[in-house]
Amino acid sequence: MRHALDFVLVTLVLTDLVLLGSSRLTACIRLVAAQGVLLAFLPLALTWPELEVAAMALAASTLLVKGVAFPLVLERAMRDARARREIEPFVGYTPSLLVGLGMLGAGTWLADRLSADVVRSPLMVPVALSMILTGLFFVISRKKAVSQVLGYLVLENGTYVLGISLLSETPFLVELGMLLDVFVAVFVMGIAIFQINREFDHIDVDQLDSLKG
Amino acid sequence: MNPSVTFGGPLATALGLVGAPLLLGVINKTKAFFAGRRGPPLLQAYFDLVKLLGKGAVYSRTTTWVFCAGPIVGLAATLVALLFVPLGGVAATFAFQGDLFLVVYLLGLGRFLTVLAALDTGSSFEGMGANREVKFATLAEPTLLLALLALIRVAGSPWSLSPTLGNISTASSLGTAPVIGLVAVALVVLLLSENSRIPVDDPNTHLELTMIHEVMVLDHGGPDLAFILYGAALKLWLFATLLAGIVVPVRTGNLAVDLGATTLVALAVGVVVGIVESSMARLRLIHVTHLLVGALVLAAVALLLAVGWSR
Amino acid sequence: MSPSLVINVLWLLPLVAALVAWRLPSVRAILGVILAVVVVLVPCAVWLVALSLRLGRVTAASQWLLVDALSGFHLLVMLVVFGLSAIFAWSYFGAEVAHGHFSLRQARRFGALWLGAQGAMTAVLISNNLAMQWVGIEATTLLTAFLISTHTTSASLEATWKYLMICSVGVAFAFVGTLLVATAAMHAHTGSHNALLWTELLAAPERLDPLLIKAGFVFLLVGYGTKAGLAPMHSWLPDAHSQAPAPVSALFSGFLLNAALYCLMRYLPVVEGAPTLTGFAPGLLVFFGVVSVIVAAAFILFQTDAKRLLAYCSVEHLGIVALGLGLGGVGTFAALFHTLNHSVAKSLAFFAAGRLGQTYGTHDMNKLTRTLHHSPVWGTGLFVSLLALVGAAPFALFMSELQVVMAASHRHAYWTLGLFLAGAAVVFVGMLRRAIAMAWGGAAAATPRPGFALLDLGLVLLCVAALVTLGLFIPPGLNETLVAAARIAGGGR
Repeated sequence: MRHALDFVLVTLVLTDLVLLGSSRLTACIRLVAAQGVLLAFLPLALTWPELEVAAMALAASTLLVKGVAFPLVLERAMRDARARREIEPFVGYTPSLLVGLGMLGAGTWLADRLSADVVRSPLMVPVALSMILTGLFFVISRKKAVSQVLGYLVLENGTYVLGISLLSETPFLVELGMLLDVFVAVFVMGIAIFQINREFDHIDVDQLDSLKG
Repeated sequence: MNPSVTFGGPLATALGLVGAPLLLGVINKTKAFFAGRRGPPLLQAYFDLVKLLGKGAVYSRTTTWVFCAGPIVGLAATLVALLFVPLGGVAATFAFQGDLFLVVYLLGLGRFLTVLAALDTGSSFEGMGANREVKFATLAEPTLLLALLALIRVAGSPWSLSPTLGNISTASSLGTAPVIGLVAVALVVLLLSENSRIPVDDPNTHLELTMIHEVMVLDHGGPDLAFILYGAALKLWLFATLLAGIVVPVRTGNLAVDLGATTLVALAVGVVVGIVESSMARLRLIHVTHLLVGALVLAAVALLLAVGWSR
Repeated sequence: MSPSLVINVLWLLPLVAALVAWRLPSVRAILGVILAVVVVLVPCAVWLVALSLRLGRVTAASQWLLVDALSGFHLLVMLVVFGLSAIFAWSYFGAEVAHGHFSLRQARRFGALWLGAQGAMTAVLISNNLAMQWVGIEATTLLTAFLISTHTTSASLEATWKYLMICSVGVAFAFVGTLLVATAAMHAHTGSHNALLWTELLAAPERLDPLLIKAGFVFLLVGYGTKAGLAPMHSWLPDAHSQAPAPVSALFSGFLLNAALYCLMRYLPVVEGAPTLTGFAPGLLVFFGVVSVIVAAAFILFQTDAKRLLAYCSVEHLGIVALGLGLGGVGTFAALFHTLNHSVAKSLAFFAAGRLGQTYGTHDMNKLTRTLHHSPVWGTGLFVSLLALVGAAPFALFMSELQVVMAASHRHAYWTLGLFLAGAAVVFVGMLRRAIAMAWGGAAAATPRPGFALLDLGLVLLCVAALVTLGLFIPPGLNETLVAAARIAGGGR
């Protein structure tokens, strides 16, 4: 399963990078949904060939929440707000790609320093940390509220991978709790977007600037 | 390290010297097939070369020796580089620690002289072409280096191209497949951009404003143009065989089989390029940057992954 | 009464009440339930604290829940803040109902979220499992987000969004930190399923991997520091505080920030105990504390909105608490004492600013003039609370800040001391100038004066009396709790 695991991890990194380089919100939402589906494989790949109930439950709920529910909520929010594209991000797409690369480097460096040796694949911790940093950068550099939620999701996906890779003993309970938390968070953010859209007629976060100083 | 000379290396180099223009013919035939034309004969590139070599050259009085040196150095640099690039599992004529840097910078030297020659004409069009060429090269060169370094890390070999490609085989490639895949994608983009193919540049265009490479060599004629064309063919061959050696690693140990397989795959790469050219339009210049940065990022990801592996 | 039952009641009762509040038929009933919950819980908490002081610690739910002096002290502070805010909400929303600004729907949402937040904060305080503690903090973020936009306006939604985004991201970082600490714990206690229990971590901190703990604490500090409003992660705080209704602002400043800082207090002795890390965590806390004081001082000078002024003042005071924690020794005691004092003073300040804002129709300090004349009760409340907040004697904040100064000079941390005093001096001048202008300056406002209510007077008198009393002497029971709590947070330093 090591190869399958590596394949999933590499694909996660690539989806991150493609996300940084895309402007269409629909595409971005699909990419994050794809990440959610990929994440569902991780608990199975780690416990293979035994099929633990906890792992399967986690995989199923990850698939359901990250792969199905979030995209639906976000696409709904996007449609309501009639926002199709991230028009002018604070950082352009090409520089964003390079920043994403830098984040991957930073994640590798940090993982190297930490030298946590419980991981199944040497890629897991670097990939997780780079996803966390990329998510943070995405939240900071984009203007649409939906994009910011997407960045938050990438960040949370990173912590998911980190949790799975670090907590070797009983990770799945913690992960399930985490998943529930993120689920509620995205739901709350969805409601907030809905209200913002109703109040402002747009979801451009950079125009939320009446409060200063 | 002593340069290792075997029988296979010179044979591979000779194959490249002879076969390179054929690759152009394959691409053009493929394009003609998809366009529903009969197209030029497979060996048209050879005919062109012979024809051009037989002609004289006219030099503008504003040009200097740099203008003449461009095509010659360009061809010479590519020729020398070819001596260091293995044909799949068949080691190159020469190999030493760090030869990949020599290869990358020989190609860079060739480009540099071509650009200087273009600037030497003082023509604004050629200057514009040179500008674009250099702009894209600043992204393409690090990509090539990173991709090769990633390969070396994966193969766990000394810093030399021949043993690296020799170590990549079907047996070991399952675990390293992600890295190899990323490097291959990056190399495909590089192949298209470095050899001025669609979607980066259109080799058939006649509109100077949209050209990149072609516009730089507008003022060259006769043997000079032949050198340039031959050099370009060699460069294409170099990239195609490199790609073929990675994607389909046939490493039987039998010289004829290895050579034949890699050559065939290289010709297949030509077919793929033809298909790409038939099915795509040229990208807007601003998107070319995006594409090349993408390739750079892929190569860098490959390198980081490869480093992560060997930890 | 069994202790574990009482501990469970502490966090379950608010949650049950939240569900009840969702269906109550009138605004007054909802506000009553909010108050009643506090009234029921105060004796429970006091009893538990007394018990934990006698036994050292009280645990429940197979060690997942824990009450010791540190959590007990914070529980009491929390109940004080919730209690005062609940009383104030009665008067504040009462006025809004009279003007038709507060519908039953809004009240139900407010009540459910308020009680839910109380339950989540209690869970944070009494959780012995560090992951559950994190879940509690995340839950408070989500539950309190829509409290800010109780009145749905564009500005309040903007504040809600910023709060939601910044704190969610920050808290995600805290999760990474928790994971790293958990990993270190697992390496140290292989085979133990309770690696995330704080008591387990504290049992043998010298076996923890210092690198993991170090990285973990940095992530935790950034994460919980965001929620606690430490500069430079404080950017959500002024917006949220200024846009929320006054009782919610008081709740945010009075306890939400402290809850996040409390989480860091739990990690402090663990990090201090890890090999080669002595002095690492306190150093960071001192740094962030001083930065918070200075940043707040710089921003306070230019504020025109009364509630934003108070919000930056919170950044300053949380900075002082962090500074005290970082200095250790008497500083830890001072930090905890300061937590209580600040919560009471800041609650009163927000109550007064909110109530005055209601009658003036603005929080602009240039228009909030002659408040003493306009409303003797709330004008006095605002002026006295601002006096207390700038650290004037004889109020309790003066005492706790003095102790922080003493701790700094004990440690010979003169640079820190100098920067802190400079910042505090700027805050003193900047806020006092505003306080005097609001109390006496300008022309009398033309708006109708608020009616006099005994409840308001009682609330203000209660807060002022508490601040003065605590400034003059600390009751023995409180002193004992504080000393025990400081011993836990300080790790015996």
